[in-house]
Amino acid sequence: MPLLANSSTSQDAYQKESEDIRERFERSHDGQAAVRERSDLIDSLIRQLWAQSPTGLAGADRICVTALGGYGRRALFPCSDVDVLFLHETALSETGQKQTIPRVCQALWDRHLRVSPTTRSLGECGRLHRDNLEFNISLLDCRCLCGDTELFEQLRSRVIPKMVAREALELQQRLTDLTSARHNKYGHTIFHLEPNIKDYPGGLRDYQVACWLSLISELEKTGVWPAPENLLPGAFREECGAALDFLSAVRCFLHYRQGRDLNGLTYELQAEAAAAGIGLAGGVPVAPAAWMRTYFRHVRSIYRLTVLFDEVPPARSGLYRLFENRKSRLSNADFSVVEGRVFLRQLSSVQDPSVLFGLFEFVGRHGLKLTAETERCVEAALPRLRQWAEHAPDLWPQFRRILVSPHAGAALRAMHRLGVLVLLFPEFQAVDSLVIRDYYHRYTVDEHSFVAVENVHALRTPDNELERRFRDILDGIERPDLLFLAILLHDVGKGMPAEDHVAGSLQASASVLDRLQLEPVDRDTVTFLIASHLLMSATTRRQNIFDPKVVGEFSESVGTTERLKMLTLFTYTDIKSVNPEALTPWKAEMLWQFYAAAFNHLSRTVDDQRLTASTANSERIKEVVAAAGEIDAKHITSFLEGFPKRYLLMHTPGEIVTHCQMYDRLKLKDDEPQIDVLRREGYFELVLLTLDCPGLFAHVVGTLSSWGMNILKAEAFSNKAGVVLDTIRFSDRFRTLELNPSEVNRLKRNLSEAVAGEINVVELMEAKFKPGAQGLKVKIEPSVQTDNECSQHSTLVEIIAQDRPGLLYDISSTMAELGCNIEVAIIDTQGQTATDVFHVTCAGTKLDREHQKNLQAALLEQL
Amino acid sequence: MTKLEAIIQPSRFEAVKEALTELGVEGMTIFDVRGHGRQKGHTEVYRGREYSVDLLPKIKLELVLPDNLVNQVIDAIVKTASTGKIGDGKIFVSKVDEVIRIRNQERGVAAL
Repeated sequence: MPLLANSSTSQDAYQKESEDIRERFERSHDGQAAVRERSDLIDSLIRQLWAQSPTGLAGADRICVTALGGYGRRALFPCSDVDVLFLHETALSETGQKQTIPRVCQALWDRHLRVSPTTRSLGECGRLHRDNLEFNISLLDCRCLCGDTELFEQLRSRVIPKMVAREALELQQRLTDLTSARHNKYGHTIFHLEPNIKDYPGGLRDYQVACWLSLISELEKTGVWPAPENLLPGAFREECGAALDFLSAVRCFLHYRQGRDLNGLTYELQAEAAAAGIGLAGGVPVAPAAWMRTYFRHVRSIYRLTVLFDEVPPARSGLYRLFENRKSRLSNADFSVVEGRVFLRQLSSVQDPSVLFGLFEFVGRHGLKLTAETERCVEAALPRLRQWAEHAPDLWPQFRRILVSPHAGAALRAMHRLGVLVLLFPEFQAVDSLVIRDYYHRYTVDEHSFVAVENVHALRTPDNELERRFRDILDGIERPDLLFLAILLHDVGKGMPAEDHVAGSLQASASVLDRLQLEPVDRDTVTFLIASHLLMSATTRRQNIFDPKVVGEFSESVGTTERLKMLTLFTYTDIKSVNPEALTPWKAEMLWQFYAAAFNHLSRTVDDQRLTASTANSERIKEVVAAAGEIDAKHITSFLEGFPKRYLLMHTPGEIVTHCQMYDRLKLKDDEPQIDVLRREGYFELVLLTLDCPGLFAHVVGTLSSWGMNILKAEAFSNKAGVVLDTIRFSDRFRTLELNPSEVNRLKRNLSEAVAGEINVVELMEAKFKPGAQGLKVKIEPSVQTDNECSQHSTLVEIIAQDRPGLLYDISSTMAELGCNIEVAIIDTQGQTATDVFHVTCAGTKLDREHQKNLQAALLEQL
Repeated sequence: MTKLEAIIQPSRFEAVKEALTELGVEGMTIFDVRGHGRQKGHTEVYRGREYSVDLLPKIKLELVLPDNLVNQVIDAIVKTASTGKIGDGKIFVSKVDEVIRIRNQERGVAAL
C-alpha cells in the first residue's frame, strides 16, 4: 500500500486504510485479522517514515527500528499503544538518527497513534531491568521493522537468548508475582459483572503471560525461539485459541465503539456486543445473558492456564516456603505434595475411579491445587470414569466425602473444570457458565453453587458473632452431606425449560438421587431442601417474623429442628453467595432471629403436637401404611395415636413399621420390654419399646452409661396407650460391642433387667461407671430454664450443660427423685454442649412454681 | 419539594413499593435499618440462653417529591404499611430547598 508518509495525502490514505480495516471487522467480526492488518498498516507507515527521513537510510549510526509488545506480535488493537524500540549499537550521534527518531514519532503522533518509543543499545537490551521489567518482557515479542537487520539479528539470536538464559527464573518469578498481584486486585475470580477483558483474571493478559512463561522456558532450555503457535501445551491450544479469537473480537469492538484503549465490558456494551453477535459464529445476535455465558466459558478456558503459572518456583519468603513445605508432609501412597500442588505418584493411577475420587477428596481436605500434569491425567481418565459411572453402586459414599471436606468448593470447582462433575451428573451441564444477568448476581449459576458450598464450610472459622451463631447451627447438623448435595443441585433448574427453576431443579435432582442410590429418608431431606430453598428468605422478606402465627405456620411446614437447621444454613448461604455484599448483617440477623423463633416453636410445642385418629389420612401415614404390607392400617394408626408429630418425621416408614412390630410383640409377650440395638455408621442406636414406669428413662441411660457408652442423641416419646418409645444414639467409647459382638445380647439383657427393676441402676453406676478424663476445650455455663406456657399439659425444662459421660443419667435420675415424669425428651449434643429439652409432669399435671424452683436448683447442683 | 422518610415493617415493603410505583413515584432510596420506638423490643430465649431483640429490623424509605404528590404518597404508604399493630412505623415530612442532578446540573422539580 503506497503511503506518502509526511503529506496530508498520506494522512488521508492512512485514515482510509484504517477505516477499511474497521469496516472489514464490522462485517466479519474477525478480531485477529483486524489486529494483524492494523499492525501491517503501522509497519508500512513506519517503514516509509523512516525511509523518507534524511538520515533514515544512510545515517552514520547503526540502528534498527523494532516493534515490541502486542505490536511486535502483530496484534495491534485499534487504540493500543504502538511500542517501538530504536535499537542502536553505540551512542547515537547528534547529527544522525538522534534527530530522526523524534521526527518519526511526531509523524505517528500526528496520526493520533499512541506511540511509546524506547531507545536502547544492544548492551542495555541484554540487562535485566528490575525497575522496568515490562521492557525485558516486551523484548520477547520483538520484530524487525526497518533499519539495520544485522543488528536486529544480534538482538534476537544472541542478546535476548543470553539474557533469558541468565535471568529466566527471576523473569518467570516476577511475571507470576505481577500476575498474582493483579489477580489478587480483582478478587482471584473471573466472575465480575462488568469485567475488563484484558486485565481481569482470565483476560487477554493471562493468555499472554502463559505464552511468555512458556517462551522463557523454551529459550532457557534450548536457546532457540519456539514457534508462536507451539507456545501453549497441546491440551490448552484449541480451547484457548478459540478464547483468544473471541476476546480479540471483543477488544476490537470495545476500542472501535469507544475510540480509546478502554477494555471494560460495561452492561451497555455487553448488550451491544450481544446484539451484534460479536465473537459468535456467523455473528448471530443473541440475548446479553447468552452472550455473557459464552464470554465466561472462554475466559474460564484462559483462566485454566494459571495452572501453568504454578509450575514456576515461587520467589517467596522463607516463612511462606516453610508453610508450603509443611504441606508436603501430606503426601501419601497415591499423591505427593510439592509447594502446595498435588502430583500423582503413578500417572495412570487415576484411571482407577476410587483413586480419582481420592484425589479430589485430597484436594478438598487440604485445599491443594493440581499440577498441569495431574490435570492432564485426570482428563485422560474420563472415558474410563464414564464406563464406571454407568453402574457405580458406591458413587454416593465417595462423592459425599468430597462434599463434607473443608475445601469442598475448590474440589468441586476442579471436578467441574476437568469435566468430571458433568460426567457424573450430566444435569449440571444446564447451568455451566449460565449467567443471571442483573446487578445482584455476580456469579454464574454453577459458580454460585460452588461458592454456596464454600460459604457453609467457611462458617467453621467464623469472623464475627453472627457467623458464630450460624456455625453453632452447622455443628448441630447430623447430615451435612445432604445439605451440601442439595446446595449443589438447587439451581440446576435455572438452566432448564421448566416453569420455575425450583420445579426444574427437583426434576433434575430426582435423576441424580436415583443414580446416587440415596436412602429414601435422605432422598426426602434433599428433595425437601431444594423444594423449600426460597421459603425462608421469602418469609423473612414478606411476612412479620415476630408474629407467632407466621412462625407457627412456617415451623409446621418445616417439621423438625434438623430440617430447620439445614434450611436456615441453606438460606444463609444462598443469599450470601449471590454476591459478596448480598448478606448484610441486617439480613443475617433477621434470618437468625427467625430461625431461633422457629426452633423454639418446634422444640417447645412438641408435646402439644400429637398424632390423633384424625391425622390418619396424612400423606406420611399413608406412606407408612404402604410400607407396612400385611399390617392393618387401623393397627398402625392405633400404635401411632398419641405420639408427637415429630416422631413421624424423624423416622422412615420402614422404621415405623419395625416399631409397630415391636409393639405387637410387646403385647404378645405380656408387656415384656422390646429392645433392639442397631449398628449404624459411626454409632449404635438403641430402640426400646415398653410400658411407662417411674424413672424409666434414668434406668435406661444409667445402664448405658455404666457400660461406658456415650449418649449422643436421644428421644423419648409415649403414645396414647402409655407405651414408651426411646431411641437413643450412643458411641461405644471402649469399643466393647465392636470387639465383642456377643456383648450386644448381654447389654440388651441388662437393659431389660433395668427396665423391670431387677437390677439397681444406682449401684451399677457406682460400681462400673468410669467417667474418664475429659479435656475441656470450651467451658459451658450450665443453665436450666422452665416454662409452663409452652404446653397445655406439661412443663418445659430446657437444659444447657457441659457434656460429660453420665450427664443424662444425673439429669433424669434427679427428675425421677423429684417425682417428675418425662413425657417427651429430646436430647442433643453439639461438640461439648449438651442441649436437652424435657416435657415433664408431676402426677399428670404441670409443675407448680415451687416444684420448678426445686427442680432447677437440684439440676444446677448436678450440672 | 418535600422529603418523606418512612420507617416501615420489612414485611410491608413490597406492598408499599408497588403502591408508590402505581402512583408514578420513580425514585426512592431504601435502607435496611434497626431501631425501636414505643415498641421497644423484647427478650427471647434460644437453647436456654437469653438474647434481646431490642432493636427491631425495619425498612427506611427516603423520597423527595413534588409538593402536589405528597398527600397521595403519604396516604398510599399509610394504607399499605399499616397492620394496625405496634411497630408499623412512622413517616417524617420535611421541606427540601433544592435538588441538583449531578449529571447535567438540572435543578428543582426537573431534577427529581
